[in-house]
Amino acid sequence: MKGKGNVIRFLLNEKLVEIDFSLLPELKPTTTVLNYLRSLPFHKGVKEGCAEGDCGACTVVVAEIADGRLRYKSIDSCLVFLPMLHGKQLITVEHLASGEILHPVQQAMVDRNGSQCGYCTPGIVMSLFGLYKNHRDPSKESVMDALTGNLCRCTGYRPVIDAAAIACSGTENDKFAKTEPDVVIRLTELNSDKSPVTIENSSQKYLKPMVLSDALRFRKEFPRAIITAGATDTALRQTKKKELLKEIIDISDVQELKYFREEQDYFQIGAGLSIESLRQYADGKIPALKQMLDIFGSLQIRNLATVGGNIGSASPIGDTIPLLIALKAQVELKSTNVARRCSIEDFIIGYRSVDIFPDELITSIILPKPSPERFIRSYKVSRRKDLDISTVSAGFSLLSVNGIVEDIKLVFGGMAAQPVHAFKTEKFLLGKPWIVKTIRDAMEILYNEFTPLSDARANAGYRNLVARNLLLKFFEESKGHPA
Amino acid sequence: MKTSNLKHDSALKHVTGQSVYVNDMDVSPLQLVGRVVYSPFAHARIKSVDYSDAIKLKGVAAVLTASDIPGANQMGPVIHDEPCLAETEVNFIGQAVLLIAAETEEIAIEAERRILIDYEEMEAVLSLREAIEKNLLIAPVRYITSGNADDALFNAHHRLEGELETGAQEHWYLETQSALAVPGEGKEMLVFASSQNPAETQAIVAEVLGIAKNEVDVEVRRMGGAFGGKETQANHVAAWAALLANATKRPVKIHLFRDDDQKITGKRHRFLSRYTIGFDQNGKILAYKVELNSDAGSSTDLSRAILERAMFHAENAYYIRNISITGRAFKTNLPSNTAFRGFGGPQGMAVIEQAIDRIARFLKKDPVEVRKLNFYGIDKNNLTPYGKLIENNRLHVMYERLWLSSDYQQRRQQISIFNRQSRFIKKGLALTPVKFGISFTTAFLNQAGALVNIYKDGTVLVNHGGTEMGQGLYAKIQGVAATELGISPEFIKVTATNTSKVPNTSATAASSGSDLNGMAVKAATDVLKSRLIPVAAVELQRAGLSSPDPDKIVFAEDQVYQAGSPEVKIPFDQLIQAAYLAQVSLSATGFYKTPGINFDRDAGKGNPFYYYAYGMAVSEVSVDVLTGEYKLLRSDILHDVGDSLNEDIDIGQIEGGFIQGVGWCTTEEIKWDNKGRLLTHSPDTYKIPTVNDIPHEFNVELLKDYPNEGTIRKSKAVGEPPFMLAFSVWLAIKDAISAVGNHEVEPEFSLPATAEVVLMSIEKVRRKE
Repeated sequence: MKGKGNVIRFLLNEKLVEIDFSLLPELKPTTTVLNYLRSLPFHKGVKEGCAEGDCGACTVVVAEIADGRLRYKSIDSCLVFLPMLHGKQLITVEHLASGEILHPVQQAMVDRNGSQCGYCTPGIVMSLFGLYKNHRDPSKESVMDALTGNLCRCTGYRPVIDAAAIACSGTENDKFAKTEPDVVIRLTELNSDKSPVTIENSSQKYLKPMVLSDALRFRKEFPRAIITAGATDTALRQTKKKELLKEIIDISDVQELKYFREEQDYFQIGAGLSIESLRQYADGKIPALKQMLDIFGSLQIRNLATVGGNIGSASPIGDTIPLLIALKAQVELKSTNVARRCSIEDFIIGYRSVDIFPDELITSIILPKPSPERFIRSYKVSRRKDLDISTVSAGFSLLSVNGIVEDIKLVFGGMAAQPVHAFKTEKFLLGKPWIVKTIRDAMEILYNEFTPLSDARANAGYRNLVARNLLLKFFEESKGHPA
Repeated sequence: MKTSNLKHDSALKHVTGQSVYVNDMDVSPLQLVGRVVYSPFAHARIKSVDYSDAIKLKGVAAVLTASDIPGANQMGPVIHDEPCLAETEVNFIGQAVLLIAAETEEIAIEAERRILIDYEEMEAVLSLREAIEKNLLIAPVRYITSGNADDALFNAHHRLEGELETGAQEHWYLETQSALAVPGEGKEMLVFASSQNPAETQAIVAEVLGIAKNEVDVEVRRMGGAFGGKETQANHVAAWAALLANATKRPVKIHLFRDDDQKITGKRHRFLSRYTIGFDQNGKILAYKVELNSDAGSSTDLSRAILERAMFHAENAYYIRNISITGRAFKTNLPSNTAFRGFGGPQGMAVIEQAIDRIARFLKKDPVEVRKLNFYGIDKNNLTPYGKLIENNRLHVMYERLWLSSDYQQRRQQISIFNRQSRFIKKGLALTPVKFGISFTTAFLNQAGALVNIYKDGTVLVNHGGTEMGQGLYAKIQGVAATELGISPEFIKVTATNTSKVPNTSATAASSGSDLNGMAVKAATDVLKSRLIPVAAVELQRAGLSSPDPDKIVFAEDQVYQAGSPEVKIPFDQLIQAAYLAQVSLSATGFYKTPGINFDRDAGKGNPFYYYAYGMAVSEVSVDVLTGEYKLLRSDILHDVGDSLNEDIDIGQIEGGFIQGVGWCTTEEIKWDNKGRLLTHSPDTYKIPTVNDIPHEFNVELLKDYPNEGTIRKSKAVGEPPFMLAFSVWLAIKDAISAVGNHEVEPEFSLPATAEVVLMSIEKVRRKE
């Protein structure tokens, strides 16, 4: 196969689907997987609950090749553009059962009374299927994590949790285990061609490079194009704001950007690495980051969202940014001819605004390994603990020598138009003894340091109090007191 | 035949993605997409409307305004104060002004962009406090009194006064409002609706189209959740879709986008309540005077009945000899608030629960002691403020059991010790009861009908007036029919609710679905059995039973036989064949009305409930005093459903209702800006509980061996009562805040207790310490 051009190919369950966008005017390159499925006969099991990735009613599972095997990922189909399926297998709720015989996760949902109104159920079943394929005898944490992205208004979740535990116990024995070798062969074939997909119609241009050099070339050629990787942010412009996205460069399948490397003094994280992959790599290596990523969106979101996207979107409430700034992380940028590095702190220059040239792509994050004497914590305070945007987030890093503050970084999200240092408080603490008295004084400074907004999430007064109190929490934790 | 463990009738379809909801239906290639153009202002005059550019757009089939409505421009369910489309004035953000029908959603959106509406903004009332100050009553003030509250308050040892705000709540049914209207021949209109009240949907569609009700057929197979949000407000999308279908003579489907649904539709009424409570040194309540003020929004909808139910539950489970309850509903420029699980009950109960909590702190007692002291009595102290005698009081037995099973006493001690040692995490514990009145308080609504058909192969089709919104009503009805006819549930199919099969039904609401419809189905199967018995007698005789006694014929295990002679039996399907050949009608209707319900609104006295359902819960939380965040560590629930019709389904209702209540009490906060724009219009900012928000330890039990006489198989209603068990969580959070001040300081508190409310309250407790 060569010269993909307007054509994408993927497996819809077991069937090869070839979509030639030039022949199907009813499909746009930005048609979401959700809307595509619902336009087909017999695929209306998948539901739209919110069109923003906050409810999981549209959850499907995508299988892709990793190390010669299939990796199954649950994703929110409302946030995924159709071309992102290229070279993958899309698995839908209609395909899980074999005739009359239900898949173990479906049977467990029936047996444990896991459905009431049934509207969230197909999404929940697909999340459970993802769990089934990834975890045997899952821990309670894994079960909860797999289900965090699925809202149910009827059951109170308890029967769903029970169903998960039952379905995923014992050996994996479903029809997918049997068909996997065949699917691997078919997907390998679909992925053999590394030429880009380029879809154009009268109003849209959608470029999907498969290699970094093509991505950089497109970036130079189409500097106004939106760069998207997981589309968890980009897709909202279409689904919620009803914007027509005219030019898109989709780097979701540039494999060169998906890596995690541990060097002697630093970690290098490919910009295309999913947040979920990073969370797994961070486990045991970067505890404060792992802790933050545990409550980052939902599994469906983390499977899509990328490290580069989280930084590139420069949201004032981006969960990872305060910590990355506190850890003095750098971003690596590349264009067709130049590469440079820049601290994340300098890279983010305002509300959703970054210092990037129109021909550059974020290619990686360089995270220095903190010295072991440093005390590092990340915090996220939100109305609801999970699947919520932070009201206040924070990344703190302390180096004290003989009880004196040698260096301290206190970086907050949610307190200003962009993630920021509490400079006054940092300055006050520098050189002072790390004791309660100092902290009490510093808390007063911190309380007055920011002028945050009152918005749908919280009032300014609450944000100021939380920011202030997080310093006390940090202090107590540094003394080994759980707080 | 055991039917108390039947699975949800659609469980298999749910898990395989085969269940069909309205938005999954495409009935014709001519089908159009309907779109609602709504007001961006909370209060404004419409100066002009120009849609000439929109109608020119290719693919646009119709644009309708109020003047295009052939019938009445009205969709108020009880009081006709709610126009279907705004004429000269808009009264809330989200009020429908125009309707568009187009070939695709994209075209409809583009058409909307081309519509020019010139508004002149007017002053809007957006806060309940302001509406109260201006006395913007939307309905007559209502009173229920007993004894003399003023005198008793004056003479009481102690008095506490207070105010409590309880917040609005978005239903957040997973399936947003939807309807598909299909025009038939002549004036006929078929509507596939997602409505809890198909008969009312039928009535409103007929009225806006200006046609007779017998021209309109409304069918509801299932809803993707409703919770009261589709009791009246599902009528709106149905009416809009029908208007467009009538105008274009093509099928039209409307499925609201999530944000539009949240902006357009009404919510649980927020209340601002004021109270004075008098009590003695033991905590015995001597008098209670409470004003319940509700925000009705821009029109009446069900606000009167909701306020009434709030008043009926103002005393919850407690006997208060001297009580004065005043209910007022106010008009504001917000979407019309509507039914939501509990229907005012939670708002009324929250106030007394908060007041009792305060009494306990004032007297330095554990609130549980004050609650117990004031429970309704068994033989005395058992008259409600509205004059109904409490019979079959389950409070005491439930309290004893739950107090033990939850290990209340020991945990109370452990928590005290924990709180003394922990500076930054405080724990709280609370036990709260629920006594919830069952019946529509509007007496005539307590009626239901059913149609049962038996086919020649012995299979049975059951139709009834109740709708399936996930609560498992169809499975319960299937169980009732199976038990009554003595056949296996697999031979019984419960079909879509349809106004042409069972007419003039009431909404599936007030937790009454299985009480009313179960009895109606039983009435129909009783008729069928009375017709089949003579046939059975003949057949049994033919099979060798000498002189069968028609009074002793038994229907069981897919057979009929005579009691005492089970060896001679006829299979049910064979009996049906014989009945058919004997020219016996195999189709029957059934009807049921709840006996003895009455209430005199002017006097505030009567018997508004057939019986009460009881529940009790103990919850334990931990609160992070630095951020105000909390965790729900454990909940123990004991709930009374009489003899359960279906234990799994009842437990599902209890758990789900409780968690929905927890959402209302904790994270579900609705905010508007100063123009009346809803800030929390999607799940991005409106936070219902996730899987992580349920209790870490969650013990739910049914009260066994307490049958309820006079209902379908001695069961009790279960839909709403468990919602209010969530007060145990709400007050456990307050208990934890109170621990910050060593229970010396009364914490400021409101509902929902968001992390923000909690932290601000903690700060104030600290300052007063």
